[in-house]
Amino acid sequence: MLKRLILDAAYYLQTSQSYQARKKFFYDILENDNCKYKKYIDMMMMVFIFISVAVLIREVKFHVNDYLLFFSNYIISFIFFIEYMLRLWVSSSVSEIIVARAEHDTFLLREVNLAKALRKALHVKLSYMLSIQAIIDLLAILPFFHELRLLRIFILFRVFKLFRYAKSFQTLSSVLATKKFEFFTLAIFASIVIFVSSVLIYVMEANNDASPINTLFDAIYWSIVTISTVGYGDVTAVTQEGRFVALLVITAGIAVLAFTTSLFVSAFTEKLYEIKEIKTIEDVSKLKNFYLICGYEKVAQELSCKLANNGNKIIVLDDDEYRINKAQQDGFIALHYNPGSVESYKKLNIDIDKQVKAILCLREDDIENVYTALTVRSLNKDVFILSLLINDTNRKKLKFAGINKIVYPQELVGLITKELVGKPVAFEVIHELRSDHTGVIVDEIGITSRIVENFTTVGELGNKEFRVVLLGIYKHKDDRFYFNPLDSMFIENGDYLLVIGYKIFIKEFEKHLHTKVRHG
Amino acid sequence: MDNTTALVFGKNKYASEIVANVRDKYQHVRIFSLYNEEDNEIEKFDLSDSWENIQEDINAKQSIAFCVLEDTAENIFLTISLRAHFQDLTIIAIASNKESANKLKMAGANKVIPLVETTADIITNMLEKPISSRVLNSILYEESDLKIAQIKISQESRFNNIQLANIDWSRYNGIIVLSVIHSDMQGEFIYSSKVEDHIIKPGDILVIVGYEHDIQEFEKKIGSKRYVNWSHWSW
Repeated sequence: MLKRLILDAAYYLQTSQSYQARKKFFYDILENDNCKYKKYIDMMMMVFIFISVAVLIREVKFHVNDYLLFFSNYIISFIFFIEYMLRLWVSSSVSEIIVARAEHDTFLLREVNLAKALRKALHVKLSYMLSIQAIIDLLAILPFFHELRLLRIFILFRVFKLFRYAKSFQTLSSVLATKKFEFFTLAIFASIVIFVSSVLIYVMEANNDASPINTLFDAIYWSIVTISTVGYGDVTAVTQEGRFVALLVITAGIAVLAFTTSLFVSAFTEKLYEIKEIKTIEDVSKLKNFYLICGYEKVAQELSCKLANNGNKIIVLDDDEYRINKAQQDGFIALHYNPGSVESYKKLNIDIDKQVKAILCLREDDIENVYTALTVRSLNKDVFILSLLINDTNRKKLKFAGINKIVYPQELVGLITKELVGKPVAFEVIHELRSDHTGVIVDEIGITSRIVENFTTVGELGNKEFRVVLLGIYKHKDDRFYFNPLDSMFIENGDYLLVIGYKIFIKEFEKHLHTKVRHG
Repeated sequence: MDNTTALVFGKNKYASEIVANVRDKYQHVRIFSLYNEEDNEIEKFDLSDSWENIQEDINAKQSIAFCVLEDTAENIFLTISLRAHFQDLTIIAIASNKESANKLKMAGANKVIPLVETTADIITNMLEKPISSRVLNSILYEESDLKIAQIKISQESRFNNIQLANIDWSRYNGIIVLSVIHSDMQGEFIYSSKVEDHIIKPGDILVIVGYEHDIQEFEKKIGSKRYVNWSHWSW
């Protein structure tokens, strides 16, 4: 009966959308770094920690306001307790373990072994509770029982909780964790040196009345102070033999110190690239509206500079280290990831829909570009993909891969040549307009509802006063370009004005369009 | 047509595209390759050639050469060789980057198409100004009704010796004047303050955009004709 009840409850929880949504919500705000609310929770917890420590320090010599004391001892402890319980809850799913066991046993036509499932659930929860972070969390709650004076010192455990909330602490511990074996060896070496030198100095000095080393504790204290090269000088060896031991310990101390320093340095040097990469990925996940450039070859290099000059954000992905270094030297955020691998996008945690303006496949290799485009399309159906085409015979394949715009440089050369030989002056004028070398540009001004409120026809725009040439209007509704429109033509929301003129005049004209308010 | 022969140096995709696009504009198109090709129409040449056979066959003033060899050094050497032999030949060369573009200009090319820069420019425009890019592309490259034309002011033109600011452009509906290139080859845009005082002289070139029939109408009204002459075009 009870077994049935537990199984039903597990199935209910496992299939209940509201329960799962709540659990996910708490998981996100406590554990998921990508959740935008997590940082606020972390910051709040850090403030509580600092309040507790401040109260502890103040309390040593002064009277602390009773309300503040109550807040520190009870309210903060209670909040930490809630946090502990929530973390315990979201750390694993008991219902999932029970359901998995039930499914497994049912599939094998056996009776459901609930005891085994519960044992496993208990084991999973216990292993979480015994993790260092969970133990620190638990100890940080203990000051709740502040009447026990000794337990007040556990407030300091709250400081250790900072490791959980501050990312740099986590990075530091993860870096040092990579050298676990080396640190263990160092600890053994240092312990042996301390043990041997303590015993030696004790044997040499303990029976000498003039010596300050009388107990084994004094000997250990002297050893550690000497080996760490601190050397307070309050406890020193006085006998010849004792001083000889001191010489040996000082030499060993230098070795220990050098070993420790080199361990820290090498751990950070080895992890530096990884730390930088983690930081870059974090930065990328915060960026919005950027161009993702896949492959950093010649065209990509030139294009990235041009797009960046126009104020665009650029992210470069390439699986070649040399090209990635080049991109970084050029000042772009560049990541050494294969743009053709789904795994890369997962690791980068990019939301293509919300963050990416367009994906540009710019490898000088059609196979790579098709591969990248297919990968992107498998993740997102709508994002705009532009690709270079190197060999015209592959055009169909690129289209089939879902590329929206194909740029074939050879064809461009043909078209340019045709125009160049026919109308060299006109071509040069258009080229200048496009390349922005002379300060005269062709620009697009989007018509907003605010502009339409103030200007209803082309004649009212007054572009001539601003020395701006109106080449035409693109009507979004008809997807048609109206060249040199008549003054009586109506302008509508969503249209685009295509204008030519000096940049500064166009800017002024645009300002005029947006700021004019019709009177009367 | 003033130009009579197009000389295309190189046998590659760029060359094929160029030949396809200029074939109808020149009476003769001659293709040269550094290697022996199966196609009989393709002539073999050597960078150490003295170009005597070409010198006899073509009128350099009336011809245009395209240097599209894939090897940059060879392309530069070819350009400098052609310029050394043919002072008046119009040379258009393709460069893979800015550095080689400068060298090609120094070697005597009239016009250099920097491939990478041009491709990047076109992609930037496609992404940043999609509408203007579409419109300009259709004006420049596609067979749309909208055309861009350059009109040289002749001695008999109605615009001759008239100040730009005094021209009533409303009489020439359907035409937009993008630029006025002075006879000294400095381009200015019509609405720029500098150019308003400019008095139009014979030899000035107007760059205009409009529909074909409007351009023809404009030509009739002002008494000047469309004009192409590479020999006057230099950088």
